[in-house]
Amino acid sequence: MSSNSALERTIDKVLSQKEAELISKIDSAYQESLNNLEASRGKLEAERTKIIESAKKQAENLKRQIVGSSRLAARNQELLMIENAVNDAFEEARKKLASSGGKDSYRTLLSSIVEDSVSSVGSGEVLVECNKNDAELVRKIIADLQKKNPKVQARLSDQPIDVIGGIRVKSADGTMTYDNTLDSRIERLKPLIRKNIAQMLRGEA
Amino acid sequence: MPEAAGVEYTKVAEIKGPLMVIDGITKASFDELVEIETAEGERRLGKVLEVGFGKAIVQVFEGTTGLTISGTKAKFLGKTMEMPVSQELLGRVFDGLGRPNDSLPDPIADKFLDVNGEPMNPERREYPTSFIQTGVSVIDGMLTLVRGQKLPIFSGSGMPHNILAAQIARQASVVGTKEDFAVVFAAIGVQYSEAQYFKRSLEESGALRRSVLFLNLADDPAIERIITPRVALTVAEYLAFDLGMHVLAILTDMTNYAEALREISAAREEVPGRKGYPGYLYTDLANNYERAGRIKGKNGSVTQVPILSMPADDITHPIPDLTGYITEGQIVLGRDLFRKGVYPPVNVLMSLSRLMKDGVGEGKTRSDHMEVGNQMYDAYSRAQEVRALAEIVGRAGLTGVDLKYLDAGDMFEQHFLKQAPDENRALDETLGRAWDVLSTLPEGELTKIKEKHVKQYYKGK
Repeated sequence: MSSNSALERTIDKVLSQKEAELISKIDSAYQESLNNLEASRGKLEAERTKIIESAKKQAENLKRQIVGSSRLAARNQELLMIENAVNDAFEEARKKLASSGGKDSYRTLLSSIVEDSVSSVGSGEVLVECNKNDAELVRKIIADLQKKNPKVQARLSDQPIDVIGGIRVKSADGTMTYDNTLDSRIERLKPLIRKNIAQMLRGEA
Repeated sequence: MPEAAGVEYTKVAEIKGPLMVIDGITKASFDELVEIETAEGERRLGKVLEVGFGKAIVQVFEGTTGLTISGTKAKFLGKTMEMPVSQELLGRVFDGLGRPNDSLPDPIADKFLDVNGEPMNPERREYPTSFIQTGVSVIDGMLTLVRGQKLPIFSGSGMPHNILAAQIARQASVVGTKEDFAVVFAAIGVQYSEAQYFKRSLEESGALRRSVLFLNLADDPAIERIITPRVALTVAEYLAFDLGMHVLAILTDMTNYAEALREISAAREEVPGRKGYPGYLYTDLANNYERAGRIKGKNGSVTQVPILSMPADDITHPIPDLTGYITEGQIVLGRDLFRKGVYPPVNVLMSLSRLMKDGVGEGKTRSDHMEVGNQMYDAYSRAQEVRALAEIVGRAGLTGVDLKYLDAGDMFEQHFLKQAPDENRALDETLGRAWDVLSTLPEGELTKIKEKHVKQYYKGK
């Protein structure tokens, strides 16, 4: 009987020890879980902040890229429209110049063009080319020029050229040409005039 | 304009390499622009190199391939080569001669500027003292770029100098001011893929709208390369000194430019200098490099980062050698670091920014900046010595302090130097990383830094 009660006491003792041990283990595991949770929360929070920061950065870059390229695309579209309008303006100017043959101002211009061009090609015999409409006028201008300066040896070509006005002068051996047609003068001045036309189109002039 | 401007000549006496000799010239001027028309009607540009005895020697920019003695016409335009300039150039892409390369019309010009420019009057120069942030730690932290400086990158074949150049172009900014910043990028003789990389890289980062690109490709005529940096620098000068912008001009690769110069020199039968380059290579390079700077009384600045690849990684080659005499320091890319996979592979011990000391510090960047830079040089230099020693005696033979330097050297390369090509580091982050490296050393080793800065930033306690 007494041995039984001793055994029971021992069993109770072992049980209570085990119970305490288990409770302590559960407590420490619980505490550990809480600590882990707390640490993970911090880590997760940092991770979350990092992801958000990186996303914000990416969004900012994307925004900058989209805004930048849209602005650029809009500006480029404007450039193309202005260029079309500038070309239209030049086309219109060409038409007007082509029909200005009979005007006094054109005669004065042609006279100075002939004089400049002949002297640019230099001494010796030169051949002057012009369009069909200006042939008579140019012939007269050459004659006047030769009266003023008998050293000028210029003659009008029999072959008319397809230009809106002005002349082309060649040396007798054909090695030198001076293109002083209105077409080439427009081309030479085009880069300078484009700015003025663009300013007018933008309402800046 | 000369009296005979616009006269066209057809008497071509000789075509030799990139040069064309025209006979029967009555009047022509040195550097005068010439428009050449081939027998097939194709137009090219050239400039007069020499005039005399009724002849003119013309350098044809697009090369003389396909030109014939009969049927070729040369029109002398009576002006030097000019570039139309206006604010509209920003966001545009041009070829090596300054012609639009982006399917858009010619820019509407505010004015036309002679591409040959003039080196700045030394009397009117203002000393550069303001910091430019590139977002690249090794440059900002140790080789600081200053507004108006010319700081070349010496690289080698196959190394990532173009990636670094594009990164600088994308990220460069003037911190803490609202002043306008622009990038002028001149690619000289680069491959098509590289040109596309530059363009895409600027487009994708949104930096294209503040950039002007000049792209001369490897398959474009070599002679065009003579003009590309001149055109680019003309635009840079206009943006800087007419519009008051701070301009970063990146010229890559100046070696290709020098090769083109050598080609012309050889065709002109000039007496060759070192490695066949003309004797005037120094003067010619200086004419380009000296176009960087600031001018008294003007807001803007032109900062130049020319990039050159050293043939066979030889720093004594005439191009890097002469460049080094003209510029204010150099950034040298190292093959060893490149092989180790470190980007950007900047060999700091061979690199230097001579103007750094005037562009950093209290009121400009951060008070500890210069000291940290110096200490980093010192630490990395010592680490390299220790590495060499360790190869002989082994790690076991090193002292405790030596081992710390060994670690600091590794950390320098992996934590400070190494960064992603799309990583833009603010200066505070750069200096923070530098302090991380320095904090691996005992406090007593930081002899180049004031005590108050050590107290404030040292993390090794």
